[in-house]
Amino acid sequence: MTPRATRRQVLIGAGALAAAAAAAPILAACQPATQKTGGSGKVVVMTDPNEFSDDDRKTLEDATKLKIEVVKSDLTTLYAMWAAGNPPDIFRVQAAGLPQYISRKMVKSLQSYFANSKLLKPEDLAPANSFYRSDGKTVGKGDLYGMVKDWSPDFTLFAYTKAFADAGVTVPSDTTPLSYDELHALAKKVDRKQGGKRVYWGFVHSNNDQWIDRTAMNMLAEKNQNLYADDFSKLVISANPEALKVVRYLYDLAAEGLQQSPVDPSPNWMGADFNNGQIALLQYGYWFSAMAESDTTKGKTVMLPAPTWAGVRRDPTMTATGWVISSQTKDADAAWTVFEQYMGGKPAQDRAKSGWGVPGLRSLYAQMPQDTAFQKQVQKVLQGELPKSDFVLQFNPYIGEQTFSTSWTKNLEPALKGQIGFDKFVQNIESEVNTAIADGKRIIGG
Amino acid sequence: MTAATGALPRAAPLSALWRRRGVRKAATFYLLISPWILGFVFLSAIPLALAFLMSFTNYDGLNLDYVRLVGLDNYTRAFTDADAQHALGRTLVLMVAVVPTGLVVQLALALMLNQPIRLSPLFRTIFYLPYVIPVVAGAWVWKLFTDPTGGLLNALLGLITPDANIRWLVEYPTVVLALFTIWAGAGGGMVVFLAGLQGIPAEYREAAMIDGASGAQVTRYITLPLLTPVIFFNLVIGIIAALQILVQPMLLAPGIVGLGPGTVPPSDNYLYVVHGYITIFVHQLFGYGSALLWLLFLVVVALTFVLFKTSRRWVFYGVEP
Repeated sequence: MTPRATRRQVLIGAGALAAAAAAAPILAACQPATQKTGGSGKVVVMTDPNEFSDDDRKTLEDATKLKIEVVKSDLTTLYAMWAAGNPPDIFRVQAAGLPQYISRKMVKSLQSYFANSKLLKPEDLAPANSFYRSDGKTVGKGDLYGMVKDWSPDFTLFAYTKAFADAGVTVPSDTTPLSYDELHALAKKVDRKQGGKRVYWGFVHSNNDQWIDRTAMNMLAEKNQNLYADDFSKLVISANPEALKVVRYLYDLAAEGLQQSPVDPSPNWMGADFNNGQIALLQYGYWFSAMAESDTTKGKTVMLPAPTWAGVRRDPTMTATGWVISSQTKDADAAWTVFEQYMGGKPAQDRAKSGWGVPGLRSLYAQMPQDTAFQKQVQKVLQGELPKSDFVLQFNPYIGEQTFSTSWTKNLEPALKGQIGFDKFVQNIESEVNTAIADGKRIIGG
Repeated sequence: MTAATGALPRAAPLSALWRRRGVRKAATFYLLISPWILGFVFLSAIPLALAFLMSFTNYDGLNLDYVRLVGLDNYTRAFTDADAQHALGRTLVLMVAVVPTGLVVQLALALMLNQPIRLSPLFRTIFYLPYVIPVVAGAWVWKLFTDPTGGLLNALLGLITPDANIRWLVEYPTVVLALFTIWAGAGGGMVVFLAGLQGIPAEYREAAMIDGASGAQVTRYITLPLLTPVIFFNLVIGIIAALQILVQPMLLAPGIVGLGPGTVPPSDNYLYVVHGYITIFVHQLFGYGSALLWLLFLVVVALTFVLFKTSRRWVFYGVEP
């Protein structure tokens, strides 16, 4: 008689198969990692398709004789690829996320590659590339782990002159920087509502609060302070009067309705609101000049120097968007070849000419556009900012790049609705971020 | 040694096996359900099992080299997590608001569209449409609809109260979320109710009417009792869906429409799965986030169990279930 599997046995078998398949990756994680070697002639690049066109891909494939597969940049996909043990060879990062990747040994030191490169010479690297240096704890010191695709001194301002004219206020000088207090007072004057409806927000900054910690950190750095303890073991606001002042300043901008906030939101991205003529003063870097002039704002936009918190001017980038190479790449040399061409070859020259950012190499600075009157005015301001841009922000290696800003936004809404006071607002942020730091420390040690 | 082994049965050829009706039926059955079985195993069972294993680790979604077992720590942590408790409370509030109202709306639509009226297929299509519109597009529609400056809702209110300037998504986020959820889900439930209504033999209603029952009495004493299995089905599905809402509050969060780690819904719409999502993708606690979601699974199972227990008292099956 032929043995027959019962339904129960089939189900048990399927369950066992599923459990075994599910357990395999976790169990495999307990084994020591092994270095993969050998390449397939293909390099997987995870990046933003807006920053890496199909023409760029073809140019790089011709230049490197390698096949390039592009994966759309997305944190969830990146985590999934890492979890599957098959991360992209090259991936796009921002400075705020990099310390975390370095602390978890996810990215490869490129020090030796830069030392031997003819296209990317260390002395030619723009100051923003310091964000890609790390000795494991301090940003700006140690090995190079990547490079910016381009960058901007990000604390400059864009003023919509019609908002100033409507308020009967003179547009500030484009040579003398404002203090943050002057900026606050000015924002109050140009902020405008009509019949309860928004006409102009006074001063919008920090990319709809997603970069709020970066703004606070740069302000604090003027007083040699940071949001975090020296060893990054905790967020310190209430116990640091200087940090408290900065947080109070940023909170007040939202509470007074000068800045977009969870209780006074815009359905748009703040750059689009500026283009629509709804923002009087916008804090963005040089890159925004490429799109600041819309049909509405054309001829009514000027760029202003970065404001100062304590009279010590600093105008670094706060994004430093660029590329790194995965520590688990199967062919580091091939990945570097693509990386090198993208950062120093024709695509880099094309980006420099486009005006969408200051080039990552000083030798390409001269290629930035200066044709229109607005571009010339922007360049004048930019040249004043570049000497103030050679600084870094010390991001916390234990937490993700959105941890602080998510906690800020989450607690700002009840605070602005009067459900919690300012002190509780600060305490909640400290508690949530410090819990995240403690989790990060437990995971990677230290 | 004996010679008894020489009596082993010969394997039947495959073609002979295939000709046997039972084998053919079984093979065809497994072949036909295999797409579902494979989909279930690879897209549900394995991820579920993985998430369960992950819930006992400190996995942060990044480098697997740092994964360590943490026992039940993630589960015990959930019971002291104030955000998880707040989120669960808000989820239950939304569920209580959305599920009964949604059922009433779905049933009312189905009862209306079950009438022999002109253009009823057109109306059915129109009411079903929100169900098939992608949720992102639906959220955009509702954001524009409730926009304080140029939104249609304030414009309509302006006809009664000039200068109406209600910031709906700020001042009444849960009301907007509940209405959006009911609007988006009405079509799906309506179709199921319609199918149920059309399955009720017309003779029952006709007999009741001959006996002098009014339309309302027919609905109360004939239609609704015979529809209870469908109500029960939609109730269970509605409760499970309400407990698992993630995308809608994120998309309706004030500010840019988007679903990403930077999006935080207002406190009133900070639901349980949103908390799980933020725990996983913002705080990068994949292990703890998985534990949170497994606890939700247990809540769903418990609620479903209670519903099945109570169903014996109010669900009428024409035949024994």
